[in-house]
Amino acid sequence: MSVRNRELVFLLPALVLTTLGFALVYTVKSETLSWSSLTYGLLFLALFAIAHLGRRFLVPDADPYLLPVTALLSTLGLLLLYRIDPDLALKQAMWLVVGLVAFLLVLASTRDLRGLLRHKYWLGIAGVLLLVITAGIGRNINGSKLWIVVGPIHFQPGEFAKVLLIAFFAAYLVDVREVLTVSTRRVLGVPFPPFRYLAPLLTIWGFSILLMVFMKDLGTSLLFFGALLALIYVATGRAFYVVVGVVLFLIGATGLYFVFGHVQTRVDIWLDPWKDASGSGYQIVQSLFSLASGGLFGRGLGQGYLILQNGNPIIPHLESDFIFSAIGEELGLVGGMGIILLYLIFTYRGLRVAMASRNDFARLLCTGLTSIFAIQAFIIIGGVIKLIPLTGITLPFVSYGGSSVVANFMLLALLLRASDSAARDKLAAEKRAGASGAAPAASASGRRDG
Amino acid sequence: MDRAIRRLFYVFVAMFVGLILMLTYVQVWSAPKLKVNPANTRAVEEEMKIERGLIISQDDQVVAKNVQQGQYFLRQYPFGDVTEPWLGYNNLRYGRAGVERVYNEQLTGQAGLLGVTGSWSQILGKNQRGSDLKLTVSMKVQEVAAKALGERKGAVIAIDPKTGAILAEVSYPRYNPNTLTEDWKTLNADEGRPLLNRAIQGLYPPGSTFKIIVASAALQTGQVTPSTDFNDTGTVTEYGYVVHNFDNKVYGDHDFQKAFASSINTTFAKVGVKLGADTLSEYARAFGFGQGLPWSLGGATSRFPDPAGMDQAHVAQASIGQGEILASPMMMALAACAVANNGTIMKPYIVDHVLSYNNAIIETTEPSAWLHPITPATAATLKTLMIQVVKSGTGTAAAISGVQVAGKTGTAEVANGDSHAWFAGFAPADDPQVAVIVLVENGGSGGAVAAPIARQVMAAALGK
Repeated sequence: MSVRNRELVFLLPALVLTTLGFALVYTVKSETLSWSSLTYGLLFLALFAIAHLGRRFLVPDADPYLLPVTALLSTLGLLLLYRIDPDLALKQAMWLVVGLVAFLLVLASTRDLRGLLRHKYWLGIAGVLLLVITAGIGRNINGSKLWIVVGPIHFQPGEFAKVLLIAFFAAYLVDVREVLTVSTRRVLGVPFPPFRYLAPLLTIWGFSILLMVFMKDLGTSLLFFGALLALIYVATGRAFYVVVGVVLFLIGATGLYFVFGHVQTRVDIWLDPWKDASGSGYQIVQSLFSLASGGLFGRGLGQGYLILQNGNPIIPHLESDFIFSAIGEELGLVGGMGIILLYLIFTYRGLRVAMASRNDFARLLCTGLTSIFAIQAFIIIGGVIKLIPLTGITLPFVSYGGSSVVANFMLLALLLRASDSAARDKLAAEKRAGASGAAPAASASGRRDG
Repeated sequence: MDRAIRRLFYVFVAMFVGLILMLTYVQVWSAPKLKVNPANTRAVEEEMKIERGLIISQDDQVVAKNVQQGQYFLRQYPFGDVTEPWLGYNNLRYGRAGVERVYNEQLTGQAGLLGVTGSWSQILGKNQRGSDLKLTVSMKVQEVAAKALGERKGAVIAIDPKTGAILAEVSYPRYNPNTLTEDWKTLNADEGRPLLNRAIQGLYPPGSTFKIIVASAALQTGQVTPSTDFNDTGTVTEYGYVVHNFDNKVYGDHDFQKAFASSINTTFAKVGVKLGADTLSEYARAFGFGQGLPWSLGGATSRFPDPAGMDQAHVAQASIGQGEILASPMMMALAACAVANNGTIMKPYIVDHVLSYNNAIIETTEPSAWLHPITPATAATLKTLMIQVVKSGTGTAAAISGVQVAGKTGTAEVANGDSHAWFAGFAPADDPQVAVIVLVENGGSGGAVAAPIARQVMAAALGK
């Protein structure tokens, strides 16, 4: 089967899930929902059919698993939103349309990723600017300054900044990686580069600390720091940077813990949410109750206790930060594990694209984008299940949120573009090699069709 | 670079495995504990989705129903406080009590065959519907009893002595289950203890109603017959304890029947001392003292002191229902039932049958015997004595025209305040349909205060 048709086949589970899921929620809540609400499901199907066609046309040789995984995550998210509040599902469906347009635009406009290299400083400046604006005029929602509110539109610049900054840092590392791997001294047997080579590391560290101070958000800080550290590691291959980076981050975080109340509160709630189960610990405690009531197989779609008698969700921000708790309650451990495995598959395919890429920039870009995606999923899931302190960021593709959906579709588009380029480069290389008689062309194409 | 990316992937794998482990821990390992955490309102919410069965009185009055609010069912009690103490409550915040608690499984449809249909409808996503309860309580009698007791602390029970079916059960002060959530704090702080079911949980000195048991022992052991002669000089001194008659009356020469009808304390003290502590204790136990009440709604265990520790003064005191004897109103109602039902005490019950939502009877309470404290012959003799009480003795206020009523009054002295007023009786004497106990805390004399209440309740039960 060709790569393109394989993707079509893998889109089938999402199709089945959408049809069955929406029908199920409709059956359970038929008193309050109308038949017309089922059109969200149809809209969703149309969306991914277009996405598939666009991909087939624009990046025909790209990885066939990333889009189906995205489709599954989005359909689960839309399904849960439909169950929580059909109006939100409608809005999310519209955001998916916008996301799809952004996806196709990015695919169409970036024929060659190396084009981004020329604008790398602009990317960096735009990314930092977005964050600075947020820190300056952002609104504090749920303890973190992550939102810009203009009229009815809530905008989360951090979601776009993450793509821009990863692109910038990847480009920057391409330039300096040679230098960073040069080591002149050894301390205790560890290669120790001259101090000035620590500059990139110290920069991202300082950047993360500033994020924590100004956005009052441990999660965003951890997200950027983790992804950028992963980039430095992959660029240099030196574990040394990771060790120093982690130590620095721990020192910085500990310092902030004692200086800033909001960091302290977050950590204290994490350590003992039961102390104030109806106050500051309410969200995490309710999230745990939610997960516990779901058990192994969950209570079933529409059967959980997600909405209180007064119509409010039992956990504030259920549709965004706590959507994983809702999944855990209605779809159980099985559903939750499924989501986690989907993120793992996405991460695996993303890093495969990075490895397959023929140029350093594409490799670093894909590594960075995949890392920030994976870390984001880890931070929010880990937060709502009390593995790590809770922080309010979205669960990529699943949570409600326009910025998140659009930014992540752009991220996906960049990965698919890189994947397609890698396949083409490889094919071209094999053709050259085949022309000189080193490798038979048949085996090369055979591998591609696998 | 490839090696670094591969390692990076392993780090992500480790992180995601960490998520899965923690998720498993929360959803499987610690879930049972989280589910019963007091801060967790999900169990309550789950139950609110179940359409609880109706509770219907013997005379077809709905005493507990549901009001639907969205997908939830809220409980409503049309009779308010009148159906307390036995109905209890099903409260989101404070849990359950009374019939609502004891029959929760049936009311929520978790018991028996219905459990299966319950889970089927759950699978189909439909609301569960519990079973209805058909009670033995007649709201007509219940309302008369509540009105007759009025706002006096105490308890009234009406019971069918032949089956043990409860016809009415009243306790005052009481609470309104419809406003329990709002009233909870006040109710708990109230010194009158409105949440206490006095009919089965209250323990009181039974006073002269205990003479039913003393007379049973004396008659059945052959110690006395109704015509055995006694002489009263107004007092009897046993081991330094002086026994007086009520109102310090002096009766002179009389027989045992007269002693019972007029409740002559001196004679009962003599009879009791002659019977001895062991025999009295044995008979008290035979009537149910020292044993838990034989039904699901529970209640306090009535107490008779350990005979080994009783001297003659104690025995004399016990013979007139004073001292360390403590009885629940239900216990004394069952003593009256023993006489009414040829010496056999039936187990009390309040739910006659359980009906599925399509009106099929799925559970019926079969009347069953509990104790046989006296022989039918002794019961018959005692019945004649109790008829005399109402005909010409202390209990004339309980008489109903056209119906032969049997009974025994009691005026139990208490350390502080007025005496507790008691009346235990049944009617019609030749074919008892209803046995009644009345207790009015610090109400005064049994004949003047309790007997009129008993008359109204018995009349209501007999349709008079």
